[in-house]
Amino acid sequence: MDWWRSFFRQESTHSRLLGVAFLTAVTLAITIVLPPVANGDLARGAAVAIVILGLSWLIGWSGQISLGNSAFMAVGAYTAGIWARHHTTTPLILTLVLAMVFGGLAGLIIAIPSTRLRGPYLAGLTLAFAAAVTPIAQNFTSITGGEGGIFMNSLVTPHWFGQLFHGTYASIDANSQWLADLSVVIAGISFFFMANLFHSRSGRAMRLVRDNDVAAELMGVNLSRARSSAFMVAAAYAGVGGALYALLQASVTPETFPLTLSITLLTLMVLGGIGTLSGAVIGGIIYSFSPDLVARVNSLTGVNPTSNLGANMQGIIFGALLILTMLFVPRGIASIKTPIQKLLRTRRPRPKLPDAAEVI
Amino acid sequence: MNRLRRSATLLSVSALALGGITTGLLSSSAGAAGSTPGVTANSITIGASVPLSGIAASYAPVSAAANAVFKWVNAHGGVNGRTIKYIRLDDCYDLASYGLGCTAGASVTTLSQNQVLVAQDHVFATVGSLGTAAEESVESYLKQNGVPQLFVNSGSKAWDNPSQYPDLFGYQTSYNAEGKIFAHFIKTHFAGKTVGFIGQNDDFGANGLLGLTDGGVTVASANALTYNAADAITGSTSDIQADVATLAQDNAQVVVLDSVPGFTTGILEVAHALGYSPTWIISSVGADPTSVNYAGEAGAYTLDYFPSVTDTGDPWIPWVRKVLLADKADFPKITASSILTGNELYGAGFAVAFVEALKAEGKNVTRAGFVAAMKSTTYADPAITPLKYSASAHQGLTGGVIAKIAANGSKAPVEAIPVNGTVFSTGNSASSPLKSTTTLTISPIPAWLKG
Amino acid sequence: MSTFLTSTFMHNVFGGLAQGVVYSLVALSLVIIWQSTHVLNFAQGAMAMFATYIGMTEIDRGIGYWWCVIISVAVGMALGGVTERVLIRPLYGKPEINPIVVMVGFLGIIEALAAAIWTSTTRNIAEPFSQIFYHANGKLVYLSPFIIFQIILAIAIMLAVAALFRFTRLGLQLRASAMAPEVSRLLGIRVSRMLTFGWMLSAGVGAIAAVITASATFGLFPTDMDGIFVAGFIAAAVGGLESPIGAVAGGLLIGLAEQFILSYWSPNVAPLGGIIILVVALMIRPQGLFTKTAGRRV
Repeated sequence: MDWWRSFFRQESTHSRLLGVAFLTAVTLAITIVLPPVANGDLARGAAVAIVILGLSWLIGWSGQISLGNSAFMAVGAYTAGIWARHHTTTPLILTLVLAMVFGGLAGLIIAIPSTRLRGPYLAGLTLAFAAAVTPIAQNFTSITGGEGGIFMNSLVTPHWFGQLFHGTYASIDANSQWLADLSVVIAGISFFFMANLFHSRSGRAMRLVRDNDVAAELMGVNLSRARSSAFMVAAAYAGVGGALYALLQASVTPETFPLTLSITLLTLMVLGGIGTLSGAVIGGIIYSFSPDLVARVNSLTGVNPTSNLGANMQGIIFGALLILTMLFVPRGIASIKTPIQKLLRTRRPRPKLPDAAEVI
Repeated sequence: MNRLRRSATLLSVSALALGGITTGLLSSSAGAAGSTPGVTANSITIGASVPLSGIAASYAPVSAAANAVFKWVNAHGGVNGRTIKYIRLDDCYDLASYGLGCTAGASVTTLSQNQVLVAQDHVFATVGSLGTAAEESVESYLKQNGVPQLFVNSGSKAWDNPSQYPDLFGYQTSYNAEGKIFAHFIKTHFAGKTVGFIGQNDDFGANGLLGLTDGGVTVASANALTYNAADAITGSTSDIQADVATLAQDNAQVVVLDSVPGFTTGILEVAHALGYSPTWIISSVGADPTSVNYAGEAGAYTLDYFPSVTDTGDPWIPWVRKVLLADKADFPKITASSILTGNELYGAGFAVAFVEALKAEGKNVTRAGFVAAMKSTTYADPAITPLKYSASAHQGLTGGVIAKIAANGSKAPVEAIPVNGTVFSTGNSASSPLKSTTTLTISPIPAWLKG
Repeated sequence: MSTFLTSTFMHNVFGGLAQGVVYSLVALSLVIIWQSTHVLNFAQGAMAMFATYIGMTEIDRGIGYWWCVIISVAVGMALGGVTERVLIRPLYGKPEINPIVVMVGFLGIIEALAAAIWTSTTRNIAEPFSQIFYHANGKLVYLSPFIIFQIILAIAIMLAVAALFRFTRLGLQLRASAMAPEVSRLLGIRVSRMLTFGWMLSAGVGAIAAVITASATFGLFPTDMDGIFVAGFIAAAVGGLESPIGAVAGGLLIGLAEQFILSYWSPNVAPLGGIIILVVALMIRPQGLFTKTAGRRV
């Protein structure tokens, strides 16, 4: 069973690549059987999962509490939108790379005041930045399109992909599956890079910075550089996720990334499992299918979905889940050991290394 | 390590292969190749994303009235043997994430609802969806999927774009045209007076002001005030007080308002408290007396493109009332003596236009054929100015009459009455001329609709 | 004199002060909690709003405005106490992200509950003082009876809290419990009770801020206090979470900054006033915003 175990331990770049590729392939297969509306939800969930992953790196691995990642999503989304306005046919990869670069830059700028702060001060400063997004987007009309925002052309299904579909509704099915597949692949690539980061020297250094910054400094780690780089990486991820999200919506407005989204991201990350890849995936899945989940709860409890209570069920459920998770399962759903995982656990005694989940 | 590599590679490849095979197998959808979505031998399915709850819920009766018309038509034989199924989905004006009384669910957006209409309900077209920003956010998606976007409820001129969006059609007079007509009215009756403007800081206010300027009325920049459209969500009277006070200090004797009903009420109330009473000219969007619900609105002017609700000479008023009375589900409280509202006339208006174009297309219904029929049909509908679409004009109505809000004692007014019956019409650009006629268009109700 | 009072500059000063005192109250409430329990209550604004809703629905029953204020404050205090006992107590000693996340979850649930119970549309409250601005020589002085009331009330509350801390035994016990809990216990102070009381006091102060906000706008929305909370937090951070006077000064400063930006730049960008001040404050004190306390909390 050694090879199987080492496969899941992801101890080499190669195994990580295969692991991510396998999971991506499975998800792609799922998109085939999902109806178009569910594929739309899945696509958005994948975009959000990318953002959550970046946030996990920042909060889980570098120990810096940030409530401002919706601002970085907005930077990425507006970058995509503004670029699309001037260049109507652009390869998607270029748009996403631009969003990543600008997102990272925004992260660097915000890191300058932020990395000196701790705890609630840092949370508050990042909160303030997230709150600044809507006013800035509304005001600098010539760049951001102001209140109306920017509308982009929907992503087009390539001809060869569309050929695979038949029937009256072929183009709709093709379009929604294409968007879902695209999003899943982009998420897969992002997850692969992050998996490498987790298992690299930077990852170990980051954990040290988080747990014992005096020791880190003694070992030669430049604290502020490490912390700033964490911000940049998280912001770059959020930029890509935000741009993808906006491209799926074919629009970006000042209301697309409000402050409440930052809080939602935090919620999803905590519920999924802070600092882990699977946690980000779970967070994305919850995001995609929370309306269905909420509808299920409504019907189970007999609440009328169009009443005030029914309409606000999502907020109530999410808030309650967050509190309960934090009090009882602080490492999130990903930390719940399923029977399969228990089977894979090694019986050899291993040295106790601090791992990501020990932030909580 | 080799075994690991082999196994994992094998697994991935098989997953992808499986994917490829099942793609081919599963992707044939229901329905014969080449048939039109939403159309069967005896039915046609259309949809709309409208604010049924939330901050713009006062517009819900518009689509309800349209639904009543479709039910009426179904009860009287349908159109060329087909019944109309109208699916209205609540998009909360695309502001569901703000809460605000939205009961559709926090993650609902106009786009997600349109995706449901197109990818799940397979509608033939969207008919009467509401909201400028909301509908702009879906025009690309609908175009890409070949779904016509018809009778959009908004005064933006964005719907008049036949070269880029050939299947997109508006309905009401644009804010630009309205502004130009207001300008003419001001020049004729209030020449030489200082003009002020308060409008929303979005497409609505910007184009309304542009229309005024195009029509020859100069509003000094200090008097061209906007309020943040987003303030409609968490409003504060201090913003409006500042705007109104500025105009009062500059002694603006005529003030044009491009505001939604809630803000119209706020502005009028604040002006009253400040002792400031200019001549108010209020956009058709924000003047509906039932929505504004303020006695002090009496005496204000607005633009009307539907008949006055107490006009006894117009056969459409009793007809619409008859249609609404027959639809107990959507209008439980209406009685034979109820006074109709502008919202109800509006909804009935575009619904009548839709069924007339559908009838004109004949038995064989396709999307391309319907769009052609839209542009060639002569409509007999409730509006008092002609409704016309062509290859170069997709706006719909292009004008209206200046009307005055009538006093109703100390209670809130209930209607606007045409000032002198001159119907104006004009295009959206600065150069299109202003036309006028003294005859209101009162089209007779087609026999097959009368019932 | 009247020309001065009606000038744009004074207009901005009055407007800034009116909003600034609300921020100061929120900032003060955050400082109280921080000083007593070293937790940042992200749900402060939402709790205050919830309490105000309860108070304001009583208006429908016909009781007077002042009773509503009292009820709102009382409910706020009760809510604060219960929150401390149930949610925060289990988390002492755990990493600092835990209470932040729990309070964020609490924020979400309270806002959703408020919307579920009371319909998330405006709830209008007939305020006891007119909100129409005064006139002087035909021009507006941007003060109304309500704004004057607002400023006086806020200052009164702040003075009362200051007096509580400085001159009363309760205040002394609160400060002692926060600074040296073990020693205080030895001296017979019921430390856990002080912690709860700190939360109650903070929530009460926050409720006043919400009551003022509710009276001033078109009405009350569940999300109204979000922006005010952010500004209040920034004010507390600028002034230093350890310093009540800093919090008050920070609040006024941010209120004024927002108003001046609104007037001289653009209304849309007004919320940036707080952020600009925060970043500038950081530049001036690059070692961070900690006031002089023993040891740095890591």
